[in-house]
Amino acid sequence: MEQVLKLRNLKVVFPTDYGLIRAVEGVDLDIFHRECVALVGESGCGKSVTSQAVMRLLESPPALIRVDALEFDGRDLTQCTEQEMQEIRGRDMAMIFQDAMTSLNPVMTVGRQIDEMYRRHNGDSKKEAREKTVKALELIGIPEPRERANSFPHQLSGGMRQRVLLAMAFACMPKLIIADEPTTALDVTIQAQVLKTLRGMQRGCGTSLLLVTHDLSVVASIADRVYVMYAGKIVEKAPVKDLFTSPHHPYTVGLMAAVPRLADEKKQFTQIPGTVPSPVNKPSGCYFHPRCQYATERCRQEMPRLKPTGKDREVRCFHPLSAGGEQQ
Amino acid sequence: MKQQRNLAQRLGLGMKRRASSAGSLLGKVWAHKQGKVGLVMVGFLVLVAVFAPYIAPYDPYDVSQRTTKGLPPSSKHLLGTTINTGQDIFSMLVYGTRVSLVVGVTSGVCIAIVGSIIGVAAGYLGGAVDTLIMRLVDIMLVIPTLPLVIVLTNVLGRDFWIIILIFVALGWTGLARTIRSLVLVLKNTNYVKAAELAGASRWHIMTRHILPGTSHLVIMSTALSSAGIMVAEAGLSFLGLGDPTAISWGKMLAEAQSGGALLFGAWWWIFAPGLGIFLAVFGFMRLGLVLEEIANPRMKRTSSVYRLFRSLDSSYVEEVFNSMDDYQVMGSEVTGGGGQRYGTGLEA
Amino acid sequence: MKLSYVIKRVLYSLFVFAVVITLNFFIPRIGVDDPAERYYPPQGNMSEIEYEIVKQLTREQYGFHVSTWQQYLNYLKGLARGDLGTSFRPGSPKVLDLIAERLPWTLVLSVSTMLIGVVVGVGFGVVAAVKRGRWQDTLLLNASTVMVALPAFFIALILSFYLGFEWEIFPAYTDSTMVSQFAWTWEGISRVARNAALPVMSMMVGSIISYAQGTRNAVIAVTNEDFVLTARAKGLKTSTIRYKHILRNSLLPIVTSLGMSISGLIGGQVVIEQVFNWNGMGTLFLEANNTNDYPLMMGIMLLLSGFTIFAILITDLVYVLLDPRVTVGDKR
Repeated sequence: MEQVLKLRNLKVVFPTDYGLIRAVEGVDLDIFHRECVALVGESGCGKSVTSQAVMRLLESPPALIRVDALEFDGRDLTQCTEQEMQEIRGRDMAMIFQDAMTSLNPVMTVGRQIDEMYRRHNGDSKKEAREKTVKALELIGIPEPRERANSFPHQLSGGMRQRVLLAMAFACMPKLIIADEPTTALDVTIQAQVLKTLRGMQRGCGTSLLLVTHDLSVVASIADRVYVMYAGKIVEKAPVKDLFTSPHHPYTVGLMAAVPRLADEKKQFTQIPGTVPSPVNKPSGCYFHPRCQYATERCRQEMPRLKPTGKDREVRCFHPLSAGGEQQ
Repeated sequence: MKQQRNLAQRLGLGMKRRASSAGSLLGKVWAHKQGKVGLVMVGFLVLVAVFAPYIAPYDPYDVSQRTTKGLPPSSKHLLGTTINTGQDIFSMLVYGTRVSLVVGVTSGVCIAIVGSIIGVAAGYLGGAVDTLIMRLVDIMLVIPTLPLVIVLTNVLGRDFWIIILIFVALGWTGLARTIRSLVLVLKNTNYVKAAELAGASRWHIMTRHILPGTSHLVIMSTALSSAGIMVAEAGLSFLGLGDPTAISWGKMLAEAQSGGALLFGAWWWIFAPGLGIFLAVFGFMRLGLVLEEIANPRMKRTSSVYRLFRSLDSSYVEEVFNSMDDYQVMGSEVTGGGGQRYGTGLEA
Repeated sequence: MKLSYVIKRVLYSLFVFAVVITLNFFIPRIGVDDPAERYYPPQGNMSEIEYEIVKQLTREQYGFHVSTWQQYLNYLKGLARGDLGTSFRPGSPKVLDLIAERLPWTLVLSVSTMLIGVVVGVGFGVVAAVKRGRWQDTLLLNASTVMVALPAFFIALILSFYLGFEWEIFPAYTDSTMVSQFAWTWEGISRVARNAALPVMSMMVGSIISYAQGTRNAVIAVTNEDFVLTARAKGLKTSTIRYKHILRNSLLPIVTSLGMSISGLIGGQVVIEQVFNWNGMGTLFLEANNTNDYPLMMGIMLLLSGFTIFAILITDLVYVLLDPRVTVGDKR
């Protein structure tokens, strides 16, 4: 299969008055053609920073970034100039953000904001761009697209705004779309609709998708493969089915237990005890050990490596769990 | 009702948010580089004002020295003398500190008190009280301040305390407005809601729960409005509309202009009072801004992030980056450097 | 929606103006039973009977012989006719005429200060924001911390000392022939420009820095907004992002700060006019103050307040044009 994105050993830190924030600590990502990969983790685990680093959207200063390899569609992005990156962004890789209200320019009509994509990357005239915009809005499921294009963001509903962002991202048929919590700000019912549209568009356009989210139910409904991230490190990587049938990392298990499920009402809705460690002052050894019920002395001392445990599966744990949630 | 309140307290709902004590706040300001500058300047001026009679080598009011007219700075007269009356400028400067500080700080403190009371009342009581106060603020905003001060001194007199009263009467609007918007936020916090549910009286909630929450803002604004009032006082005295009996920096500047300092090149006569004004205003300004930063770290100028970025020790950064590698933890393999650097973004 | 907002703002401005008028009427009457005593304070060399006569004449001349309520109505009636009252000066000139004579000269200073302040200040602010953390930004930060502690009249004295007296580049005092011999000739205009140089420079420094500071903060606040990240993720050119997205949105807070600054600018000019003996409304106001010419003082106050109200109203309306989100409600 053709590889769209290859990221090796991404590290990002931010200087603050209280010390360096270690946002991302050596993340590897692989995304293949037409694949939907999910990057899952609680807020503050570095998943958004990772996704922005992939598009080289992090500004330095303030961010300090190191990466061994960042290849997109066979191109080495670390060697690209900012001008070249600007051409790649939007045309070959696009991004969908969480809060469509703040992610859209409040004083520009949504139509013009989509027009900008066509005018910038296809060199279309104003008129051509608007025709395409209207078509794109129609495709994405917005009624009366021509009128809606002249609306300002605040005049649209939340779901519509998110669809505008989708239309914008898919405008140039990019090879990769990064969706950062695309449905988090929406009502559950709208969430499902937008997700369905996103999935449909991704399949239809033959785009690869990197879905950044904290919501495992979203992952289950759309992703092919999953990376679980905790405190700046990937702790588990697995195909979606395997992950849900037999999670290996105690953190993954905790995340799943926190998702309310209709199927087994007997199972209690639980929370992982404790909170995400401060990115300035992370614990020794495995970052998850203070919250882990299986932690041993070794976990307190030493950071486990990401080790393969099966076909296309890796886990960062000294005591990975087998199917059924019991310790091996 | 008392029982309910006790319950709320036991549940930790109605916990008072204690303002940090004065001592620790001072410590925090001192720990801040800019804050130290401000504290030293203000402390110095306070000492000068208190010990003015001991510091000033001559009687600043003495206008009978015909032999010493228009002397440039020398060891005898540190900042020279005036051209028309032969007064010692250094002594005048020292005494001028008193007027500036007393008017500035007294007005600043009164403004803080009045402004916070009105702001809390407007924000917490809401309704007609709020509307009335906010309309008043809007109205005071459109009347040019200095002309209004002049009219009021004309009508009410130019006594020292009346001038302070006028400054307070016109100066509270900004703070009241800020406090009001903060109170609107505090009003919806859980601990205030809990206290309301527990049946605490409005007075109790205002004085015990809301007022302490605004303390940092009030302290900060005291420093800032003191600085502002000092500039205004100097302007008023410069126009010859301050308290006619006291020596003040603004009046010194006015006398310098009318007494021929410009014409005869007596630069010391102009720079000395200007320096006084600058030191006092700058000191209080620094203090206010540092307090603001302590109260609300996000207010920090973003430049500091960039300064931080530049001051980073690169070997330390490399160390941090290397410590993130998986291999090093195992101690078996040597890492291959920190990887590729790249910068990005609008900065390019 | 928008129209109702505009109407609401206009009505509110009128309400504020009405209150200001009322205040204007009552302020000179604070603390005295008989306004005539305020308008004509007792003189040392006058006997009681003489003073009574003078007061009686004053009352009749200025209409104080009727009830306060009636006086207020008369004042309002006068205002409605465009009559700001009669000055206490010899010859009883109309306040409006006195002001009209000085207004253009005041506007010369305030308008040029404002124009220079806005153009240079906003430009400097944008540069500082774009180059944030570099020397341009540091320069602005340091300049603003220093300048805020230096009153404009002190800067005026320093400029007058060096540029006026020592180096004789610009006139340190306003040339009295500037007004009396003014003509719309090249010579007349250039004389005004030369005389205005120092006053404008004194006020300009502060206004440039405050506009620059405001602009810088506004631009940086907008730069940190999510939609700028979206624009970057779209691959737009840096210039497009800067001009079409960031600057367009920064205009809103800049316009607001412009409106708010006008009142301060007008008030501060009183002192500067005094320093340079400039023949404007500021010096007229101080003259009126020194002679207890209340009708004149209050007339100037009313004009300045009215002007500020108008300026704020205009800013608010411009805001509506700029921001599609504004409908009804106060955003300040």
